[in-house]
Amino acid sequence: MTSDEVVMEPAPGDLGCPRGAATAVISPEGIVTGWSEEAGRLLGHQAREVVGRAAVELVAATGASDAAGFTPAGSSEWSGTATLRHRDGHRVDVMLRAYPSLAGDGTLQGYVLTAVPYAPESQDEHPMMDQAFTQASIAMSVFDTASGRWRLNTAAAGAAPAAGGEGADEPFLRHLHQVAEQGKPARFETHTPARSVSREQARIVELWPVRDPVSGQVCGVGTATFDSSQHHRARQRLALLNEAGTRIGTALKVVRTAQELADAAVPRLADFASVDLLDSVLQGEEPVPGPVGADVKLRRVAHRSSTSGTPEAAVPLGELDTYPAFTPPARCLATGRPVLTGKDDPDFLRWMALHEARSARVREYGFHSIMAAPLRARGITLGVAIFAKTQDSEPFEQDDLILAGEFADRAAVGVDNARRYIRERSATLTMQRSLLPRRLPAQAAVQAAFRYLPAGSRAGAGGDWFDVVPLSGTRVALVVGDVVGHGIRASATMGRLRTAVRTLADVDLPPDELLTHLDDLVRHLDSDDGTGDRGAVSGTDAEELGATCLYAIYDPVTRICTIASAGHPPPVALLPDGTVEVVQLSPGPLLGIGGLPFEATEVELPEGSLLAFYTDGLIEGRDHDVGAGLDRLCRTLADQSAPSLEVSCDAMLRALLPPTPGDDVALLLARTRALHADQVATWSVPASPSIVADARAQVGRQLAAWKLEEATPVTELVVSELVTNAIRYGAVPIGLRLIRDRTLICEVSDASSTAPHLRRARVYDEGGRGLDMVAQLTQSWGSRQTPTGKTIWAEQALPVG
Amino acid sequence: MPGTAGGTQTGPDPARAHTVGLVYPPAEPDGTYTEQQHDFIGGVAEAAARYDYDMLLSPSVTANEPSFRRMVSPGRVDGLIVMEIRLHDDRVEHLAKAGIPYVIIGRNSTADVTGWVDLDFVGMTANCVQHLADLGHRRIAFVNRSERLFASGYGPARLSLEGYTKAMAALGLTEHAYLCGDDDASGEAVLEKILLDDPATTSLVTMNEAALRGVYLGLKRHGRVVPRDFSVVAVTAGRWVEQISLRLSAIETPVAEMSRVAVDLLRERLISPGAPPRHVLLKPLVAQRDSTGPCRQLPGDEPDLEELEF
Repeated sequence: MTSDEVVMEPAPGDLGCPRGAATAVISPEGIVTGWSEEAGRLLGHQAREVVGRAAVELVAATGASDAAGFTPAGSSEWSGTATLRHRDGHRVDVMLRAYPSLAGDGTLQGYVLTAVPYAPESQDEHPMMDQAFTQASIAMSVFDTASGRWRLNTAAAGAAPAAGGEGADEPFLRHLHQVAEQGKPARFETHTPARSVSREQARIVELWPVRDPVSGQVCGVGTATFDSSQHHRARQRLALLNEAGTRIGTALKVVRTAQELADAAVPRLADFASVDLLDSVLQGEEPVPGPVGADVKLRRVAHRSSTSGTPEAAVPLGELDTYPAFTPPARCLATGRPVLTGKDDPDFLRWMALHEARSARVREYGFHSIMAAPLRARGITLGVAIFAKTQDSEPFEQDDLILAGEFADRAAVGVDNARRYIRERSATLTMQRSLLPRRLPAQAAVQAAFRYLPAGSRAGAGGDWFDVVPLSGTRVALVVGDVVGHGIRASATMGRLRTAVRTLADVDLPPDELLTHLDDLVRHLDSDDGTGDRGAVSGTDAEELGATCLYAIYDPVTRICTIASAGHPPPVALLPDGTVEVVQLSPGPLLGIGGLPFEATEVELPEGSLLAFYTDGLIEGRDHDVGAGLDRLCRTLADQSAPSLEVSCDAMLRALLPPTPGDDVALLLARTRALHADQVATWSVPASPSIVADARAQVGRQLAAWKLEEATPVTELVVSELVTNAIRYGAVPIGLRLIRDRTLICEVSDASSTAPHLRRARVYDEGGRGLDMVAQLTQSWGSRQTPTGKTIWAEQALPVG
Repeated sequence: MPGTAGGTQTGPDPARAHTVGLVYPPAEPDGTYTEQQHDFIGGVAEAAARYDYDMLLSPSVTANEPSFRRMVSPGRVDGLIVMEIRLHDDRVEHLAKAGIPYVIIGRNSTADVTGWVDLDFVGMTANCVQHLADLGHRRIAFVNRSERLFASGYGPARLSLEGYTKAMAALGLTEHAYLCGDDDASGEAVLEKILLDDPATTSLVTMNEAALRGVYLGLKRHGRVVPRDFSVVAVTAGRWVEQISLRLSAIETPVAEMSRVAVDLLRERLISPGAPPRHVLLKPLVAQRDSTGPCRQLPGDEPDLEELEF
């Protein structure tokens, strides 16, 4: 709608009588009979000076005044302008109204006069005010509601967007009409959104009604428009900073944090932003504190442009670039403060001249204003963020520089946290990986597969571990353990335990005895840590080590699995007939408690049984109900009919674990093999010297049956030595065993466990030479204690072909 | 070791017919060969083939049989291997008289005039006894072949008994030797007798595979669980003993080796007829399986025995 169509009506409550009017009463004869205070203020006369005098005395010279036409003879209302004389002599232009006052019989008693000051429109008379309006620094305009005509001052005429006139925008006109209608002043604020904060324009418009001084009717609307862009931009920068606080550093990831910085800055702060980090930061090294010296090498980690594809970037992601000391990025790193530069800065131009690709990009995309802000946290310099304006964008202002600094600071804290977190986590994981088997050792007793999953949470890698240790006589040790806690310390303890278990397994201790030794070791570790470098350890480190371990030995000849546990959950077995059972064990105390015995349990397993060894992370699951978790594990294991254990491992982890497990998890699956009767031969050897020849012959016979004649000479020698030693130093019964598997194993056992626990040949005085020979002839040899004595074994590679 | 010098040997080749004869009467009552006999026949044939000999098989028990006479007819075979030899065996007498090269698997009192390969039944049985003694057994019975066979002078039966007696004497133990027929009923009966004679018996050595099932039945009836309460070891065992659920601790007859040695010995006779004959006595060890275990006194017997021992 246009202003022409507006019908002005008196606002409600407007009685047409302006407030603060001067009033006086005159008699029909024109004598002043009443005088108000306001009238006194208007003309400077006190009531006592005026009452009783002729009203006409107060009237100044005649002129254009309508008062000339006023005669107090009639009895009708009158209004018009008049020029009165102030007590001090100056003229006062007023809008005058006369209201007849009638007596009860209808005769005129007098008039009530009201007068309000009034400025005549005469340009001649007020040239200064008019000029002041025209030349005001504020854009002002007046809208005449009756005619719909506008009057704009110079500032308003040149304003964009229009500060009045036909071209004014919709909000302006809406508010204008509202003021005209309601007769109340109004104020509104608008801004023109722009891609960049520094381009945004904002204004505040004040509108007020203009009333006819005599009728009090709204006859027009006055406007004044102020530019509030600076204020608006400041608020916008604050909002942007606030937003950056929530957008930057959402994850403990270096590259992601850098990208978040670039994303937060473009396009609101800059047209192009890039984040470059010192290489050492990315490699997880601890950067040197303080500013960085000359010639900085930085790697591009993230960048972002308001143009899709970021074509402006002179350095591709992941590339390294060198920044000489004078360049803005190097300068900001040297000073530790953000730097504002641009095409007017000689250093900037010198930098561009250095770098072909960069200067080409700068020319092509019109980089003209650049900010470089250092990424620093905890006094450590991590890298630099660059912000740039291109083409026709407004150059950066000082306020932008502050904002850039804030952005960089926030990103720096995020990057530093991520860096430190990654550093610790990767150190722990590296350690964990180096401490866990990467692939399982070759052995034939079981087919095995394993998985180790570090915790998905920020807690880092834990102390879960497992191992498969080949033992003599084709047996194998299957181990799984758990050190309470997370992080490097748990991993380190895990490593010590695993090494200890390997060593003890190598001595071929039975499971219960092995755990007793391990228990001793953990107690020593505890006391070492408790008294040693206590000053260096924190409260959590000083806590007592909690560790569990399950140690099982499987013998494929007897198919017996001997298991002992130190507070570790029992293995679960899937038998070939499809039944699943939790192996019933005496749980045993945790390692490090000491004093309590460990008990070994023997289980005979059908060939092809699938054993699952695991840590509690696998069964705690979502609900932390271990009983329910164990049931779930049993059900899941029952489904594992696939021949591939790798497939089974994956399937079980999928079925049992939430997407990000809270605890680390180790799972070791072992499918048992059995050595068949034709792979093992055991003989009883009566203790008489003449039997040695029979034993040699027997071995030769057996090797012939196995078609391993090539191995006969060595094996006969080995048997001679071992049997001779057993007869000479051992105790009956003496047994001789040959195992043909991946290797050819020759074992001689006797009932003497008090005999020297030999690991090396020199223990024997006379037989030593022979055992030296055994050592030289065979791949490996050793001895182990057995429940009924000891066994000396020697292993040879099978003849090829 | 003897017999390992297989392969195609170079040197003077005395063979004319390039054939060896194997005289081997079937052991089964219906005139068929046992499984172990098949192994011997196969073993001899394979060993002979290594020297590029063919093998001719005769089931003759005596020299008068047409089969035997055909085999010894001139040019038929270069030499013979004779098996299942009796105390007085007219087959070897005929061969010796006729000057035909031959060797024997087994032996009798006259066997030494030519080469032979045999099992050392004395040593093997002694080893069985020793095996049980090493496991702590002191009451060890011996189950031999049938009375009829023993009376006929069957070598292995007599030699085994000799080994048992010697070993028990050497250990200072009381011997309990029994003869037993080759059937289940005899096996059961002999066990009854053993436990009647000495209820504290914890083990036995047997020469008689055929009676073994009966022995096991008897043990079962007496509630003796093998090897927990009672150990059983066999001096010789063929493959069929595997039919018994428990894997038997026993000495396995080294069939392949004996066959090979026999062919080697025969070849030696053919190459150097004048050389003194070689004799090979094999003493395989007791293969320890599931029927022998450490001696564990029966409940109730223990106090008695302890007192007796001291």
